[in-house]
Amino acid sequence: MIAYLVNLATLIAIFGIAATSLNLLIGYAGIFSIAHAMFFGIGAYVAAQVALTVSPDFLVAALAAAVVAGALSLCLALPALRVRGEYFVAASLGLQMMASTIFAEAHSLTGGVGGLVGIPPARILGFDVASPDAFLVLALACLAVTLAVVRTLMRGSFGRSLMALRDSESAAEAFGKDVRALKTLVVVVGCFFVGIAGALFAFHMAFVNVESFTLEQSVVLMAMVIIGGAGTLTGPLVGVIALLSLPAALSFLPFIPATEIGTVQQFIYGALMTALMIFRPSGIVGLSRGAR
Amino acid sequence: MLLTQLAVAGIQTGMLYALTAAGFALIFGATRVFHVAHGATFILAGYAFLEAVQLGLHWSLASGVALLLAVAFGLFMDALVYRPIQKHEGSFFTVFVASFGAGIAMQALIQFFFGGGFATISVPLTRAAEVLPGLYIAPVFWVALAVVVVVFAAVSLFLERTHAGLGLRALSENPELLRAYGLSARRLSALAFVLGSALAVPGAILTTVTTGIQPADSAHVMLVSLAATVVGGIGSIRGAALAGLFLGLVENLVVSVVDTQWSQAASFVVLFAFILFRPNGLMGRAGAR
Amino acid sequence: MITRRSMLAGILASTALPAALRAENEPYVLGTLFPMTGLLSELGSIYANATALGLEHVAADRRLARPIVLKAQDSQSTPQGGAVGMSKLANVDRAPYVLVGLTGVAKAAEPIATRAKVLMVNGGGVGPDLAGLSPYFWNIIPLANQELPTAFDWMKRNAIKRVALIYLDDPLGNALRKGLQEGLPAIGASLVGEFSAAPSAQQFSAMIAKIREARPDLVYVASYGTQQTQIFKQLRDNGMTQPIMTYSVGGTPSVAALPESEGILFTSQVADWDAADPLTRRFVDGWRARYKDNPSTYAQNYYNAVLLYTQVLERLEKEGKPVTGDTLREAIGSGTFDLVGGKARFSATGAIDMPTQLNRVQNGKFEKAS
Repeated sequence: MIAYLVNLATLIAIFGIAATSLNLLIGYAGIFSIAHAMFFGIGAYVAAQVALTVSPDFLVAALAAAVVAGALSLCLALPALRVRGEYFVAASLGLQMMASTIFAEAHSLTGGVGGLVGIPPARILGFDVASPDAFLVLALACLAVTLAVVRTLMRGSFGRSLMALRDSESAAEAFGKDVRALKTLVVVVGCFFVGIAGALFAFHMAFVNVESFTLEQSVVLMAMVIIGGAGTLTGPLVGVIALLSLPAALSFLPFIPATEIGTVQQFIYGALMTALMIFRPSGIVGLSRGAR
Repeated sequence: MLLTQLAVAGIQTGMLYALTAAGFALIFGATRVFHVAHGATFILAGYAFLEAVQLGLHWSLASGVALLLAVAFGLFMDALVYRPIQKHEGSFFTVFVASFGAGIAMQALIQFFFGGGFATISVPLTRAAEVLPGLYIAPVFWVALAVVVVVFAAVSLFLERTHAGLGLRALSENPELLRAYGLSARRLSALAFVLGSALAVPGAILTTVTTGIQPADSAHVMLVSLAATVVGGIGSIRGAALAGLFLGLVENLVVSVVDTQWSQAASFVVLFAFILFRPNGLMGRAGAR
Repeated sequence: MITRRSMLAGILASTALPAALRAENEPYVLGTLFPMTGLLSELGSIYANATALGLEHVAADRRLARPIVLKAQDSQSTPQGGAVGMSKLANVDRAPYVLVGLTGVAKAAEPIATRAKVLMVNGGGVGPDLAGLSPYFWNIIPLANQELPTAFDWMKRNAIKRVALIYLDDPLGNALRKGLQEGLPAIGASLVGEFSAAPSAQQFSAMIAKIREARPDLVYVASYGTQQTQIFKQLRDNGMTQPIMTYSVGGTPSVAALPESEGILFTSQVADWDAADPLTRRFVDGWRARYKDNPSTYAQNYYNAVLLYTQVLERLEKEGKPVTGDTLREAIGSGTFDLVGGKARFSATGAIDMPTQLNRVQNGKFEKAS
C-alpha cells in the first residue's frame, strides 16, 4: 500500500509540473495548446537518450531535456504568433499528430513503438536516487522549484503583461507591450518545464515509448488544467490529483470490472470536462468570475 | 496504373471526409460552435447502423436508426451543452473544451458497450473487381459517389433556395437581421445541428461496411473534419468539402512517394502548412483572426 | 457524501488488515500482465481464462502447503501499459513469478522485472529476440524463428518466389521482417515489398495498391488484433487473391469469425487435443466444459505456465528453499516438467522446444494444412 502511494505521489509530482507548465500557456497567456504531450515526450526521449549514452546523472539529463524541449517549442511559437483562436488549436493539433508519427517512426532516436528500454537508475552527482522514496523527494523538489518560478514570474511584470495579453491582445499592444516577444517567451518557458517533467517521467518508468506522448496525453494534460482551474497556481495541481487518483478510486468499486476501468475513467473525465464548462467554467479552484 | 489506383482510393476516402467535414463546417459556420464532438456523432451513427443490421433490420431501416441517433446527439449537444454555456459566457475555448469532453465521454460509452475492437459487416458491395487492367474498383465506390452527389445537391438547394437555408447562412453574420425577418436564431441553430449531424451519417455507414468502425475513429474523424474546415477556409461548407476530398487524395497519393506509414501524417503537414502560409484556407473569408 | 467516505474507509481497512496479519502464512503470488484492454484484448481473455483454469486445477490438487493468489495487471496491449503494470506487480504486489504475453509488452516490462528479480514466463509473444532476453525471462511458447521454417517449407513446396510483407512497426513486426529477410533467399524466394503499418492505421487500400504493383505470389501479414483482421478483409476486398500467411496469432477466434479470412494460412505449435494422457485430458475436457469450444495453443501455454509454477514451488518446498526470483530461476533451468503436450525442458536461453505445423482457416474453423 505504501509503495503504491509513493508511486502515485511521484506521478502526481511529475504531472503536476507538466500541468503547471501548460497552465502558463493556457491559463496565463491564453495560448490554447493541444500539443503539450509532444514536448513532454521530447523531454522524456532526450533524457532517456542522455541517460543511456552519456550519463545517468539526473541533473545532466533533465537540463538537456528542458533545453531541447524549450528550443523545439519554437515550432509552437510560430503559429501562436500568426494565428489565434480555433486556428491555433487546429495548428497545435496538427503539430501533435505530426510529432506522434515522428516518435513512432524515428527508430534511431525514439526506438519506434518498441520504445527505449532499460533506462538506468537515476543518480545525482554520483548518489543513487532511484529508490522510490528518494525519487519521490526529487520529483517533489522539481515540482516545488517549478511552482516557485511560476509564482515569481506571474507576480512580476512578465505575469501582468501576459494577463493583459490574454484579456485583450490589442489593448496590450496599445500599451506598448511587445506581444511577439511575450508569447514566444511564455511558450519557451512552458516547454522548458514540461521537458523537466518528461525527464522525471523517463527515469521513473525506466521505459519510454510513443504511447505516453500522443494526442490523448495532451488532452489529459489539458483536462487536468481545465478541471482544476486554469490561471491559478493551485488549480492544475488539484486537477492532477483528481485525475490521477481516479483510477485508484475506481478500482475500489467492486461493480466495475477491472478491464473496464480505463473506459469508465475516460467517460468520467470527459463528462466532467463538459459539466464543468457548463456549470463552473473556471474549474474547481477557479475564481467565480471565470478564468478568462 | 498505380497512380490511378491510388487516386481512386483517395477519391473514395476523400468523398467520405468531404461529407463529414461539410457537416462540421455547416455547424461551425452557422453557430460558431467548434463542434469537435462531431467525431462522436460519426461513431455513434456507425455503431447504431451495425447494431441495427445485426438485429436483423433491413439496411434502409438501419440507416434510419443511425440518422435518428446522430441527429438526436447533435440536438442534445446544442440544447444541453452549448446553449447553457453561451448563455453565461461562451468563450471559444470553453465551448471547445465542453465539446471535446462530450466527445470523449461518448466514445468511452460506445467502447464500454461494444468493445474497443473494430466491427464490420461483410457485404458483397465492397468486393473490388478489375475494371481496367490493373485497376480495381469496388461497387461501393459508385454508391459513395452517388450518395455524395445527391446529398451535396440537396444541401446546396436547401441552403440557397429555402427561407430557412438562407437564414442558416445569415445566422453567424447577422443575428439581428434574422430577428427582424422573424426567424428564430435558436431554432436555426438547432437546424444547423440537425443538418450537420445528418451529414456525418453516410460516411459512417460506408466506413462501417468498407474498413470497419472502431471507437478510436472518433478522434480521427474529428481531426480530419477540423483539418478540412481549416484548409477549406473556416466558414465555407464548399471549401470544407473540397478540402476533405483533397485530404483524402493526399493521404493516398503520398504513398507513391513515401513509405506507407507516413500517409496519415501527410494530412497534418498540409494542415500545418495552410495555417502558417494561407490561414484563410482555400475559400475562406478574408481576415483570419 | 458521508456514506461514500465511510464506505471507502471500510474498504481501505479491509485491505489493510489482512496485510498486517498475513506475515505468517503468506500465500504464493502469481502475477499476470495480460492485454485485457486495447488491440489484443481478445488474446488477453484467452490467457486469463487458461490461467484461471490452471489455478483451479492446482487448488483442487492441494499439493502445495500454501495457496496461490492471483494478482492481475492489465498491460492494455501496449509497451507503456506493460512497464506500468510490471512495476506494480514487482514493487507493490511482490509477485516473484509473472506471466506475460506479447513481444512489445514483454520487452518493455523486462528491464523492470529483471531489476526487481522477478521471473517472467511468456506464453504468447513470439518475437525471436525474446530468447535470451534476460536470465529471468522464460518462454513456454515456440518463438517465430521456430515457426518460420514451417512457413518456408510450405512456400518452397508451392513454388512461392515473391513474397510481400505487411508488418506492424513494432518489435514483433520488425522481428518477423528480419526473419523473412534472412530466411527467404535460402528457399530461392525474396521479399518484393515491405510495407509498414502504423499501429493506428486502418485504411490499407493505398498500401494494397502498392502491393499489387509488386506482383507477389504470397502476402505475409505480421500484425495482430483488430488491425490484422482489417488487413485480411481489405486485401480480399481489393481483389488480392494470392495466398495470405501469418504467424500463430492467426489462431484467434476473431480471425475465424471473419468471412474474408477463408483460406488464410498460419503457423503454430503442434497441438493434439485428442491425446490420451491424463494432463491433456484434464485440460482439454475442463476447457471444453467451461468454454464450449476447443482450447487454443495460447490457452495450453498459460495453463502450462501455471503447472510449471506449481511444480517449481513444490520442489522448493521440498528442499526448504525460500521463493525468490533466483531460486525459481535455478529450479526451472535445471528440471524437467510434466506439462500438457508432454515432458518439457528449457534451453539455457530460456526457450522451449516444440514442433510447429501449418494451419488453414476453413469454413470458420482452423484445420491443419499439409
